[in-house]
Amino acid sequence: MFLLLPFDSLIVNLLGISLTVLFTLLLVFIIVPAIFGVSFGIRKLYMKTLLKIFAWATLRMERGAKEKNHQLYKPYTNGIIAKDPTSLEEEIKEIRRSGSSKALDNTPEFELSDIFYFCRKGMETIMDDEVTKRFSAEELESWNLLSRTNYNFQYISLRLTVLWGLGVLIRYCFLLPLRIALAFTGISLLVVGTTVVGYLPNGRFKEFMSKHVHLMCYRICVRALTAIITYHDRENRPRNGGICVANHTSPIDVIILASDGYYAMVGQVHGGLMGVIQRAMVKACPHVWFERSEVKDRHLVHFIVSCILGTCINNTSVMMFKKGSFEIGATVYPVAIKYDPQFGDAFWNSSKYGMVTYLLRMMTSWAIVCSVWYLPPMTREADEDAVQFANRVKSAIARQGGLVDLLWDGGLKREKVKDTFKEEQQKLYSKMIVGNHKDRSRS
Amino acid sequence: MGAAHSASEEVRELEGKTGFSSDQIEQLHRRFKQLSGDQPTIRKENFNNVPDLELNPIRSKIVRAFFDNRNLRKGPSGLADEINFEDFLTIMSYFRPIDTTMDEEQVELSRKEKLRFLFHMYDSDSDGRITLEEYRNVVEELLSGNPHIEKESARSIADGAMMEAASVCMGQMEPDQVYEGITFEDFLKIWQGIDIETKMHVRFLNMETMALCH
Repeated sequence: MFLLLPFDSLIVNLLGISLTVLFTLLLVFIIVPAIFGVSFGIRKLYMKTLLKIFAWATLRMERGAKEKNHQLYKPYTNGIIAKDPTSLEEEIKEIRRSGSSKALDNTPEFELSDIFYFCRKGMETIMDDEVTKRFSAEELESWNLLSRTNYNFQYISLRLTVLWGLGVLIRYCFLLPLRIALAFTGISLLVVGTTVVGYLPNGRFKEFMSKHVHLMCYRICVRALTAIITYHDRENRPRNGGICVANHTSPIDVIILASDGYYAMVGQVHGGLMGVIQRAMVKACPHVWFERSEVKDRHLVHFIVSCILGTCINNTSVMMFKKGSFEIGATVYPVAIKYDPQFGDAFWNSSKYGMVTYLLRMMTSWAIVCSVWYLPPMTREADEDAVQFANRVKSAIARQGGLVDLLWDGGLKREKVKDTFKEEQQKLYSKMIVGNHKDRSRS
Repeated sequence: MGAAHSASEEVRELEGKTGFSSDQIEQLHRRFKQLSGDQPTIRKENFNNVPDLELNPIRSKIVRAFFDNRNLRKGPSGLADEINFEDFLTIMSYFRPIDTTMDEEQVELSRKEKLRFLFHMYDSDSDGRITLEEYRNVVEELLSGNPHIEKESARSIADGAMMEAASVCMGQMEPDQVYEGITFEDFLKIWQGIDIETKMHVRFLNMETMALCH
């Protein structure tokens, strides 16, 4: 019993010292720079080191594979079906033409063969579906020491396993608590700060304080995720009175954009922790939070700038924006955000993971590396309508980020396909048949 | 991903039974898992996860075809509740492209199989005949959702087409002779000489370097 006492206090002392050291480090290297907006360059160094390690790991795996005379499994993401871009009309005409052993003037109005087209199309979509494919995470070519992205388990040697184990240790026992502490600090500062600022009388001072509180807290959050962001073309940054529009892969986009500029946000109301944060933010600055189904709030505001959100989609494509954001006649500043999946996959499949699981995944990855491109501003021309303008902005963003332009509306993932689309197909088909029918009755 | 010995044997067995290559089987297996949510079987509800399928007017017939015992070669009629991967491949194999290396007999067999699949789609009560009612049902489904076509027009279109089919199959009919329905032999007769093989298959992309981790 007595022998334990000195050890006890020793352990307690050690613990105390290490915690103090940790917090000092935290403060000096992370929070203080965040407040003032400077950077020590630690994260860039970290990224370079990691890249070297990943390259080595992939080399080892390839060597292992070569020894066994096999090839590494490279997932094929472009789909398995060669879809022919012919239209409904062309295909049906062709099918009927091939059945022209019947009398030429007696073109039947409806043939048993018409069902072929729909049958085949149906089978093709069951085998391989454009939209569902977009919603699964991208697959990597080199391994980033995260077991979630590895498909080649059998080529891992002992050295690699040790490295991987070390990686797990670092990520879960060192990085994770650090990040959680930072995130906690950042969020609580945000909530407290904005509430305090909310009590100030309206005026220039309030705006000034609000701006800095927001920026500071977002910068802390950025460091909490170890997000390494490269900004391009900062001269095109959104200015007062404009609308900032970006492609949306995850909730992290908001943090990334907001840490570089002071935005009033337009977004969907969330419950839980997000809801608390949202309500606090509103006190200091005119954000607008709406229910997803209601869209009348959009013309409320004296926007300073607003972020536009859509459904989370995989990084490789840009879905159609909600039409609403483009109907107000302001200048639009497009922003393209592209994540590098090598360090951590930022994609959030909301039907597979909840918010907390997603955040944990983010915080246990190595880092979030992304590039932000500020594109030159666009305004709606006199002869375009909202939809065309939206598409123009969307393709500019897609082109910049190297993302694939996709005409689908991301809302498909949640709701069933709108009946109008289904009707379009059927209308087209029936027009063809009724057209023939009418011709016959006239002759 | 199956790296175990038994899995590759299974693949070889499936290759033999259904005629797909091992690459294609692997791809289809991934798709199967995606549709079933990692379960070993698929039910009708799982097809709701394919948004593109909603656009198809005969969606319900296609989904039904997957569970049709006649297509699964499990019986003369009725529907299965759920299907496993082998059943899934069996249905998909009806849409395999015609292999250029097949001989004439095999081509003929393949063609018959494809037409039988189609026949089953029309003949929903499994009595071996496509009656006027069943035909009308298909036409209505294909034309459904269009407010400009009244039910009457859809019916008359179906009736007209049915008369065509009757004339091909039975020749001139007596005034009081009733045409009971299209049997499978009549169905084949209608399609004689017409090339349907190129229309009833799914075109797989040529996949390179897709070696599995055996």
